[in-house]
Amino acid sequence: MTVPTFRPDATVLFGLAVFVVLLIINLVVNPSSFDPVNLPSTIGFAAPIILCAFAATPSLLMGNGGIDLSIGPIMGLVNVVVVYQFATQWGVTSAGVLIPLALGLGALVGLVNGLIVAFVRIQPIVVTLGTYLVCAGLSPIIAPTPGGTIPDWLATLAGPLSIVPIVVAGLLWWGFRQMPLYEHLMAYGGDERAVFTTGISVPLVRISAFTIGGIFAGIAGLSLSAVLGSADPTVGTNYSLLGIASAALGGVSMAGGRGGMVRALVGALTIFLLQNLLTFLGVSTFLLQIAYGAVLVLAIAVNGQISELVKKVASR
Amino acid sequence: MRSSLIAGVRRSPDILISVVLLILIYVVGVVGIPGFGGEQTFKAVLLLASFLGIAAAGQTLVVILGGIDLSIPFVVGAANVAVAKLYGDGMPFLLATLISLIVAGLFGVANAAISVKSNVHPLIVTLGMGTALLGAVSLWTNGLPSGGSPAWLTQFVAIGSTTGPIPVPPVIFLWLLISVGMVVLLRASIFGRKLYALGNSPQAAELALVRRLPVWAVSFGASSVLSAVAGVLFLGFTGAAFAGVGQPYLFLTVGAVVLGGTLITGGRGGYVGTIVGALTITLLTIVLTGFGLNASLQQVVMGTVFVGIVAAYGRDAHVRSRV
Repeated sequence: MTVPTFRPDATVLFGLAVFVVLLIINLVVNPSSFDPVNLPSTIGFAAPIILCAFAATPSLLMGNGGIDLSIGPIMGLVNVVVVYQFATQWGVTSAGVLIPLALGLGALVGLVNGLIVAFVRIQPIVVTLGTYLVCAGLSPIIAPTPGGTIPDWLATLAGPLSIVPIVVAGLLWWGFRQMPLYEHLMAYGGDERAVFTTGISVPLVRISAFTIGGIFAGIAGLSLSAVLGSADPTVGTNYSLLGIASAALGGVSMAGGRGGMVRALVGALTIFLLQNLLTFLGVSTFLLQIAYGAVLVLAIAVNGQISELVKKVASR
Repeated sequence: MRSSLIAGVRRSPDILISVVLLILIYVVGVVGIPGFGGEQTFKAVLLLASFLGIAAAGQTLVVILGGIDLSIPFVVGAANVAVAKLYGDGMPFLLATLISLIVAGLFGVANAAISVKSNVHPLIVTLGMGTALLGAVSLWTNGLPSGGSPAWLTQFVAIGSTTGPIPVPPVIFLWLLISVGMVVLLRASIFGRKLYALGNSPQAAELALVRRLPVWAVSFGASSVLSAVAGVLFLGFTGAAFAGVGQPYLFLTVGAVVLGGTLITGGRGGYVGTIVGALTITLLTIVLTGFGLNASLQQVVMGTVFVGIVAAYGRDAHVRSRV
């Protein structure tokens, strides 16, 4: 068994450098968001991005076309079901009900994704586009207008306890890494046919990747609800591509088999720090879009260039 | 002729299934919605499908290559806003369109060059590049869309207008022209052969001396140019510029391509399928609207139908048979 450590192979160095540079600039220009008083709420703002990058990662690690477009709408669905339907309409505010509900809802959609991918054998991008549309369509049906109030305990996830969902997700992943299934997932991302011929259950690997992603999306939905402070049926959809881009930016391979949660975390923090800095500087949202796109493409392209270089040197 | 038709259906049963489905949706509409199914319905379906069909043409090339172009909605929006702005500032409309098409073409080539040269997935590259492009255009126009569309363009895409003696708007003939071009390109050109070769196996294609970059550059370039065309057509259709006009096309273009039986992993498919896919999505939307479903419910039905249809013919082989 390998110890879960960050192994920075050369292909992620540039992304890491961008992250460090952005962190330093943030600390110099805008130290107040990182002082102990404000840090929890800063983490609260970062949490939905970090968690949706986590949610995107297991299906990317699976490789063989593995991708989960439905994570954003799952977050949105969790938001409206927990905040609008349960907490506001039905007055169910107990954490003991709402937390399992959020995680269970995420796991359920992930399980459906996984079952269709594994047994109907449709490409993941097509399946999760289908569940993307279903979840994104269901949200406004449940909550026709933005509104509702969140219970007090949930509000703390945007403040003093904002780190808790991230730690919980990290611990869940750490637990998963102790299982043989994790090794199977990584091996499957490396070589599908080899894994099949060794007798590993391919459907189980596929189902688990999507279900774990769904659970993370459920946790992300809770963090998002805490930040929003209410229910919003349209906000979730943006997070799908944000999560996938964050994971890729941190160095999670789109081809599968390489990467992990630490890389997803670095990628998500890079995007968050960029947003945090530009928002603080008060630049227009259009400039923010340009910077986001440029950093994404630049980091991915340079990481790719380095990886090509490494391959060339290695083959010499 | 007849035997070749049957052979064609045998080769790709997916097109037959989707045509049957198209007819089925139509029949459901005729039975369930009063006043549905006449000349107006055909015109509306063709008109709305022509926008999607044109925007999805380049996506078809890119998906056959084994890639995906997520920059389409951004290019549609950027062209829409940029042409309106240039025209509003006094530039002749055709010149403004030409400039935006050239810029779009270069943008697509840049997408391809970055993806190929750095060997990274085009999904992330096109997403980032598209976001930056629309941001740049919005910055230039201050996010306040200005200008408008000339009267002839509005006529070009208006449901009531005619093409000479034929009672359909000219945009449908533009789509027909693009369709013929696409089918010839894919079936009867050297470029088409190279495209399928690269989509089936990049390694094998490269050993056969097919170079990746030119084929990728043409495909992504075409995708951006055709998206820009759709963006300009939208300007005529809605009359005012709007940067978010392309938004639904992020996934609808992929949907039209996949429903048409083109393999999302590349190497198999064609534009005829995409035409049927675009018609299916458009007709289904109109029928669902006719039954009084709101946009959210339509999305739920669309997502379910989407997976259901692909389950009928787009299934992967079991890994067992690929060992």
